[in-house]
Amino acid sequence: MDMNETNDQFGQNDSILSKAVDQKVDYLNQLNESINNGDDLKIYELIDKNRYLTEFMKQEESMEPDYFNLVSDLHDELSHHLSNRLIDYLGKTYPFFYYHEYQLGQFKIYFGNWWDHRMLGELDSINVKFMFDEDEFNRLADSFKLELDNRRVNDATMKSLADENENLTQLLEQQDQRDAQKDELRQKLQENEEKSPMPWEAAKIKEEKERLNSQLLELTNLDEKAAGGRQQIKENENKILALSKEETILTLEKQNIRSTFGSFEAFNDNNAHLYEKYLEYLQNESQVSDHE
Amino acid sequence: MSNNQENNSKNNIFSTYTDSIQFGLDKGLQYVKYFKQLVTTKDPAELLESTEMLTKSTLDSQYVTFPHQFSNEDVQLIFMTRLLKLTGLADNFKIKDSEYVQKLYGVFDSVEDETFSFAKSQVSTTGYYLNASSGNQPLMYLNIPTKELLFNGPAIIDFFVVELKDTEADKIKAALTTLINFGKVLKEKAGFKTDFNVLDGVNEEFYEFAAGNIAEEIMDELFVKSAEENYILMADEDNNAFLTLNAKTKLIIADKGNEDQHKYGAFVQDDDQTENWVFLLLDYPFIRDWYLANSRQLEIMADQIVFG
Repeated sequence: MDMNETNDQFGQNDSILSKAVDQKVDYLNQLNESINNGDDLKIYELIDKNRYLTEFMKQEESMEPDYFNLVSDLHDELSHHLSNRLIDYLGKTYPFFYYHEYQLGQFKIYFGNWWDHRMLGELDSINVKFMFDEDEFNRLADSFKLELDNRRVNDATMKSLADENENLTQLLEQQDQRDAQKDELRQKLQENEEKSPMPWEAAKIKEEKERLNSQLLELTNLDEKAAGGRQQIKENENKILALSKEETILTLEKQNIRSTFGSFEAFNDNNAHLYEKYLEYLQNESQVSDHE
Repeated sequence: MSNNQENNSKNNIFSTYTDSIQFGLDKGLQYVKYFKQLVTTKDPAELLESTEMLTKSTLDSQYVTFPHQFSNEDVQLIFMTRLLKLTGLADNFKIKDSEYVQKLYGVFDSVEDETFSFAKSQVSTTGYYLNASSGNQPLMYLNIPTKELLFNGPAIIDFFVVELKDTEADKIKAALTTLINFGKVLKEKAGFKTDFNVLDGVNEEFYEFAAGNIAEEIMDELFVKSAEENYILMADEDNNAFLTLNAKTKLIIADKGNEDQHKYGAFVQDDDQTENWVFLLLDYPFIRDWYLANSRQLEIMADQIVFG
């Protein structure tokens, strides 16, 4: 093997390496500079150049190298940094969302600041995206859908609880009536027992006794049900209250979405294009400040 | 010697007798003087003085009794109506009928069907309760010699909000405003120690709920009931709940205690500092219903020594 050739090969390798390291250093320098200058738009470009080009610049997809993994251990810090202006922007465009940074760079999204609001998911500042909790989001979607038929998510459950309470109330109210019926049945049973039937009547008397006993049992079963009735009514009332609260919250959420976006579809559409809309906003902002 | 002694002891008896009658008559004259002052003076200070003197004394003495007289309960009522009139605070509270010398009743123009009178309290010999004739708990405690005036919130709500629920809110408020003004003038002009309780309109007044801790369901209920009336119960940064009732008025429910010992209660804040807890209940039926349905926990207690 030619030594020169090998040297050349190594030399070439070094230059490739050096160039690659330079690019990385350059990337980190650019990132650092953008952080110091507060140039969030540039940061987003550095985070995901491909997405930046396609979604924001509306250019053809290109295979840009991904250097973002160089700072993969700094995502929380970066997310915290980016959240600052993003949340300001979202405060104007989604006035009903509230954020809680439960740990550095991690934000929970709350819908509304009314009493007992829902946690709807998390905010991904790095990707400019709402990460809605699927169940919570679906409940909102269902509520919008059912509303078209004048229905509510919890209608069926609330109705069955209310019906049960009505039945229980009735059972409680009918206690005196049942007590009277039981007395009557017991009286009849006693009469039945006192009868000394002719052999051919015995079967009929026995049958009557069984019938009376089963009627009595039915009534005592109802008594038992009524005995726990008050407690059950209270429990059901609490369940109804919890469901009404959920409906109240859904109603407020729907009202807020409508008053800001006009419709649930427009809201979803805006969510889907949040990245480009926010980057456009950042661009406009920087142009405004350039002119100042 | 023995005659003299006898004469002396007879004289003694006679002089004791005449002295006692004289005492009784003097007392009567004194009483008449103060009573005249009570009903004729134009000066609030003199009115207060005469009431105090009459409250502290009795007209009857051992040897002299008067068959027809106004009681000290009546004196309190005369004082109240005259003070309101003299200070120009209100002329909607009047003595109903003074034709009979048995007992005087006060009546508010706006709630004509109800009469009010004073009754002796067990708390102090000079303390009197103001009662509504059809109510069963005292509404107010007045003790002129010790300069105390206290309102009994639970009774006021029970009577003016629950019993009179078919009367227009404005009429009830007019009557309550008179009671409040009565308290204010005694506090500001005569240095009375006052407890306005649920009638206190100052924004800083904390209406403390009896239960201390309030079950979450109770707050949920308010949230749901408010929303039904298009009011939204909000949460603020301090985790208080608040309702914006109109441009000027806000109801805040706060916990002034800590994790171990909660102390829930309400503030009623308005620019004019005239809204109080009872007015709120009168103006907003959904708050009234919520409060009454959960009164065991939410009740705002009055002074337990005077009204306990």
